[in-house]
Amino acid sequence: MPEQRVVEPDYLLLEAPREKKFITGSQAFAEAVKRANVDVAIAYPITPQSETMHLVGDLYAQGYVKDYYRAEEEYGAMSAIAGAVRGGARAFTATSGPGLLRGLEAIVSWPGHRIPAVLGVMTRVVNAPLSIQPDNVEISYLLNSGLVVLHAENQQDVFDFTLAGFVISEKVDVYLPVVVATEGFFVTHAKGYVELPPEDMKLPPRDPYKAPVPPTDCEIPPARIQRDAPVQKSNFMSYLIHAVWQQEVWSANRRAAKWIKHYLGGLIEVVNPDAEVFVVASGCAAAQGREAQRYATMEGLNVGLIKVKSLRPFPVDEIREALKNAKAVIVPEHNIVGWLAKEVKAAIPNSGIVVDGPRVYGGMTLPVELIMEEIYKAFGIKKEKKVVV
Amino acid sequence: MGLEYVRISPGFEKYMPRDYVDLVKYGPFGRKVDVMDMGQFKELVEEHPMCAGCYMAYFIRVFYTALPNPEDTIVIGTAGCARLALSQAAVPFIYGNYGDTNAVASGLKRALSIRFPDKHKDVVVIAGDGGLIDIGFGMTMHSWFRREKFTTIMVDNEVYGNTGGQESGMSPKGVQLKMAPLGKKFDKINAVELAKTAGCVYVARISPTNPKRIAKTIRRAILAARHFGPTFIHAYTSCNIEYSIPTREVLADARKREKQDFKFYEWMTDEVKEFLEEVERKEKQEVKK
Amino acid sequence: MAKKNPIQPGPEGYIPTPAAFQGCDLPPPGKALLYGEIVDEEVAMREAAKALLTRRNPTIFPGPLVLWGWNADAMEKAKAVLELAMEIPNCRIIPMPDYRPKYPKIDPEAEINPNHPNLTILHNKIEACIFVGVHCHYANLSLRMIRAGTNCFTIALCAEMGHEDAMVSLRDVHADEIRKFRDVVVEVRKELGIEWEPKLPPENPSLPKEDWVKISPLDFGEYAYLLIPRRGEIVEESE
Repeated sequence: MPEQRVVEPDYLLLEAPREKKFITGSQAFAEAVKRANVDVAIAYPITPQSETMHLVGDLYAQGYVKDYYRAEEEYGAMSAIAGAVRGGARAFTATSGPGLLRGLEAIVSWPGHRIPAVLGVMTRVVNAPLSIQPDNVEISYLLNSGLVVLHAENQQDVFDFTLAGFVISEKVDVYLPVVVATEGFFVTHAKGYVELPPEDMKLPPRDPYKAPVPPTDCEIPPARIQRDAPVQKSNFMSYLIHAVWQQEVWSANRRAAKWIKHYLGGLIEVVNPDAEVFVVASGCAAAQGREAQRYATMEGLNVGLIKVKSLRPFPVDEIREALKNAKAVIVPEHNIVGWLAKEVKAAIPNSGIVVDGPRVYGGMTLPVELIMEEIYKAFGIKKEKKVVV
Repeated sequence: MGLEYVRISPGFEKYMPRDYVDLVKYGPFGRKVDVMDMGQFKELVEEHPMCAGCYMAYFIRVFYTALPNPEDTIVIGTAGCARLALSQAAVPFIYGNYGDTNAVASGLKRALSIRFPDKHKDVVVIAGDGGLIDIGFGMTMHSWFRREKFTTIMVDNEVYGNTGGQESGMSPKGVQLKMAPLGKKFDKINAVELAKTAGCVYVARISPTNPKRIAKTIRRAILAARHFGPTFIHAYTSCNIEYSIPTREVLADARKREKQDFKFYEWMTDEVKEFLEEVERKEKQEVKK
Repeated sequence: MAKKNPIQPGPEGYIPTPAAFQGCDLPPPGKALLYGEIVDEEVAMREAAKALLTRRNPTIFPGPLVLWGWNADAMEKAKAVLELAMEIPNCRIIPMPDYRPKYPKIDPEAEINPNHPNLTILHNKIEACIFVGVHCHYANLSLRMIRAGTNCFTIALCAEMGHEDAMVSLRDVHADEIRKFRDVVVEVRKELGIEWEPKLPPENPSLPKEDWVKISPLDFGEYAYLLIPRRGEIVEESE
């Protein structure tokens, strides 16, 4: 392990020289953790997440991470993360599909407890019947809990979002957990080019006293601290405190937007802003949408792409602005419920222009041709279906 | 740091509410407190929101008095009666989710060990039978298997008191409670033997009839956890409401149960025994001086 | 932002929309918030001073980070808060020593609590107040509840990035910045022609001191027999 020197987050994320490597998504997570000065990582196996936490375990063995253990199960892992972060540590863990749902009770309590941590979510179908494939319906469970949720398109995003995630989650005006979601296998087990800053640099350590709530370490007043006291008396005052507490979580979630813009260049990425027809997508679907946009342009069709990087805070204003002249909006997704399509419809005044789909699920790949079909329909182009015998 | 954060900023003494001035002046921070002086500490004996005659409330007061290092102690609880009194004390308290105490404590203790390698930061879980042995069973056991260095105290009232009196794994066989309409059909779980098997280095079972003994047991468990590994105390703290024990008879009940199935029991590893003997011998010498 | 200067003294109603939802952003370093808009510090300070000097029962709510002398900076900041209090005519200090809800009932003249701050504000008819040394999360809870149910003008002297829900919010405020604000208060006071000899606010009016030394275990009713062994009862060693 090389000696790592502490550098400012802005330097590490935005300015440091980068070198191109050909690595998997799991490796990209680990490369981010390597540079994030992480104190505690807690692992529990589930496919396809496990590989990431194996690599983080190697980082612990090498000395990059100060403590690491395999937890009893996800609820225990997520609860222990909450304990470690309250104690002032910087913490990382990751999970997938059923594991996420098992840990969900703890995870959705993190925002209310003001627990800044980074959680990797490598999507996997929610079981029954059992499968390990990358369907991302699980992300919909995360959208209503106050977490900051970023959705990575590829290995480069995984690295950038994760490293920036630590910085954003610990901003005093945010102080929420950041989820970095990406599709299992498609991203985690496939290689892509990732530009990495030097590995002999790391983020400054977490300063738990620069925070909107005190850490529970007996070093800072108040002594009679109970930073998240049960507020459960049955009277109006206790209802009101819970209401404003929820408001505070969601206010903090909104405040994350400016840091996402600062470190990740925006909540959305727009390709061909003057297009007539847009593909709006996140994660792997955005990668396929990007290809569809390229095909369509080659065929002379005026198609644009909006990649949604941040699902929470959701870029309502940005999407509304980008789609103000659109005739049709195609929302390809890796799940059956269409959570992104619903969000997009709710964001714009003319939701009738949104096409529901194409959607694939159960871990199916999302062929570019499916998106192209919708693009042709939007332009009124009739294509003959060829049957290959 | 410890004591600095319970010191009032110069000039503000006369602007603090009386409670807090008293807390600093008379509170248990930074000095040895005998359990018999408990009445001196308003923080520990002020009104609690538990039922009249609650034996758990009494146990919790003795618990706080017995802490060897209250200014550097964090208490973790979970849903249930216990946390109602725990959250009233002058010691930092974490209330997480259902049955998660020993997982939260594992993370917390590890974080504090990383950040303050040269200090004793005591982490103590104090939770009910339901929290530790039913819903939190896996996390309780695994914190012991992993040899996490904190103390677990089970305040066993043999029932889910706070949710309205349901059967727990610690209820005695045959007792009729909510969710056990025909009486409980299996035995009380033997938590003490489980703790020993799972790797606790100090284990005790106690019926709180003698405050000095409770205090000594708690102190021993916390000191042993600092150096050697997980420690566990199983304390009987009756629920006078769900078990219909008249308030005047809670102590008599505790004595009766002590004779029947809560006879004081203490077990520790040889190295813990050696350590505690040494600590207590030194303390006695100091008292003599 | 839909309308200009959206964050005004309340009562805003049953459950007000948080300023962050209305599009109010926190100020960048060197700037301040006034009624939800980003302005120069000086402008915000003068408006805050005016409110403190013209509205009823101005009160400072110092939080744990200044009340407790946990380090030299905290004590210096506490000193600066008292210097500021001296210059505000008929100012009071009501502390927020911690964040735990007060059960069964708060003494609203003695303290304020982030879980029910409006009780203290309404009881004392406070129409201008300063939050200082309160962790941001709890300050934000308080500021919103105060805007919901009272007509209090709120001023947040924040050591971090500021508070959208205060009528005036300064950021990066430590001892020196508090003294700068005090000077602005004095200046505005002179401009308004208010005469005032600097003096410290009255002491905390909490109940007269209870004499714990005189308390006996018998005062603990049902627990008394647990505190004193009975005659003849021998307390055994635990072995």
